[in-house]
Amino acid sequence: MVIVVLFVLLLPVLIRDINRKYTDNWLHRQKDKVLKTVRSQGIEKYIQNDEGFGSYNTLLKEEYVSMDVDSADRKIDTIVNERRLVEGDTIQYRILSHNFKVGKKNYLLEIGKSIDTINETTTPLQNIAFEILLGMVLLTILADQFYSTYVLRPLGRIIRTKLIGHKFPLKTPYRKVHTSTSDFAYLDISIHKMIQTIESTFQKEREFISNASHELMTPISIMQSKIENMFGREDISDEVKERLLEFQRILNRLKSITKTLLLISQIENEQFLKDDSVNLLELLQEVYDEISIRLQEKNIQCNIDVPADWELEQVNKFLLFNLIFNLVNNAIKYNKENGSIDIVGKLTNKQYVLEINDTGIGIDAEQLPHIFNRFKKFSKSLQQDSFGLGLPIVKSIAEFHRIKIEVSSDLNIGSSFKLIFPADSL
Amino acid sequence: MNVLIVEDEKALTTEMELFLQANNFLCEICYNGATASEKIATNLYDFILIDLGLPDYEGLDLLKEAKKYNPEATCIILTARAAVDDRIKGLDLGADDYLSKPFSLLELQSRMQAITRRKFGLKHSVVALGDFNIDLTNRSISYKDLPVSGITKKEFDLVAYMLLHKNRTLTRSQLSEHIWGSVVNDDYDSNYIDAHIKNIRKKLNAYGTPDWLETVRGLGYRININS
Repeated sequence: MVIVVLFVLLLPVLIRDINRKYTDNWLHRQKDKVLKTVRSQGIEKYIQNDEGFGSYNTLLKEEYVSMDVDSADRKIDTIVNERRLVEGDTIQYRILSHNFKVGKKNYLLEIGKSIDTINETTTPLQNIAFEILLGMVLLTILADQFYSTYVLRPLGRIIRTKLIGHKFPLKTPYRKVHTSTSDFAYLDISIHKMIQTIESTFQKEREFISNASHELMTPISIMQSKIENMFGREDISDEVKERLLEFQRILNRLKSITKTLLLISQIENEQFLKDDSVNLLELLQEVYDEISIRLQEKNIQCNIDVPADWELEQVNKFLLFNLIFNLVNNAIKYNKENGSIDIVGKLTNKQYVLEINDTGIGIDAEQLPHIFNRFKKFSKSLQQDSFGLGLPIVKSIAEFHRIKIEVSSDLNIGSSFKLIFPADSL
Repeated sequence: MNVLIVEDEKALTTEMELFLQANNFLCEICYNGATASEKIATNLYDFILIDLGLPDYEGLDLLKEAKKYNPEATCIILTARAAVDDRIKGLDLGADDYLSKPFSLLELQSRMQAITRRKFGLKHSVVALGDFNIDLTNRSISYKDLPVSGITKKEFDLVAYMLLHKNRTLTRSQLSEHIWGSVVNDDYDSNYIDAHIKNIRKKLNAYGTPDWLETVRGLGYRININS
């Protein structure tokens, strides 16, 4: 675009320059013609008795040739714009002046072309050039259009289907993008190979977490049994038992982390079935029963306002229970004493939306994007007895059920977690 | 009662045997599937505990054999490989219950008892604690023929669990594993057991003093019965 503008701006100057060069060339050619005549036919053809020769064509005096004896003894060979008086008219000419010697005499030859005539050709030339330019711009735009809609269509398709909106793990098999351009086919297959590499790395990571947590289960199980058996013995003092209890607490922590990691990896590996039908209100009631003791501890009011007829189809009840349990548990954990939790169901755009709003400490805006990351613990979270896997569980379960989560939060006022259920789970 | 433990982790079988023997079970142990298969085909057991992750044998095949030769036995699957598929297959093949590692030995005993109760429909069982009667069949508590009201499901579960493991101090984590075992969450040190016990005491105190429910300072809780 910049180039086009620059070109349009420079066009008059360029055309003028080209025209002048052309004129100068023409003048030189005329000069050569005259000099040739002088050489072949003698100066007498033009000048007799030292009388100057002059010729101009037509009434308009567009061009003229003059030859005269030159008194000055200097070499002249110039082209300049000058005014000349011709038969009473003052006309601006572009004039070639050239002097030469014949015998002992110096002669001065002048060939002129009127500036008006030159300009007369400049303007149409400029116009033509401008039109050509315009045509070229249009042609370029058209070609671009053609290029991007037709020739580059496979590229767009590759970007759309293979890069944007690509989700891991890869569920659909590789589908070739139809193209006759080998470069695009190459790009397509290269992207596919890259994605396969990423995919297999992901897969390895998932397998590793799964295997590691599985492998840890047996040793944890042994330790837990040993502690339990020792704890049950009569001959062990209470002091030692208290130490055992600390040991058990640490083991519980290890157990919880391992179990949670295992659960997340099982969800990610799609080892859970989605064949339960769940009434949302009943599920919330179950969570409430499970969690009421925690509400009571902090004297938190929990209001549930969800229509009784909201049924969720093809879900995993165990997982959904854990999803909601963890969200409500967080709403309690990060709430203030005597605070409240509002669980509200709203039908928005034909989708079930469940909101869990609390009056808790809230989440920092800059921490908000990271709250679903594993093992992310925030300085603000007052609780020390959590390990930062509550929300990752929530996220995994939500993704497994294609539930969208939206979070908003005001520091020291509260947080709101919105679960948007997919339209087809109703 | 006879228990066959099929488990290749020696350290774990030692603890299981220790615990079950203390609770008057007779234990036999197999460290691999081949010997277990022989034993199952020749002996009769009341309980068969099968670890699915045996190095030499498909655990589910062993379960099939157990169902064939020991149809009366209660089969419980133990596994670290808590694949959901396996759980469903195991229960389909006739396993009575499923415990994923790591499990509490107390929980194992509780499950074994619950299955026995379910299978053989034990006679109406009511346990007397002072002036209180705990009805394990109807899951209710009464005081001198007066029903105690307001006891929640969770609260009753806690009392029943402590009653099953009577005269033994149960730690908070053992109790919370029993009543919150299926919940996977972020907390690893919940003290909500205290709140539950407080509630239970409050509700019982409206009728009489539950002096059988003891707080063992620094350790946990226990129900004392002098037999």
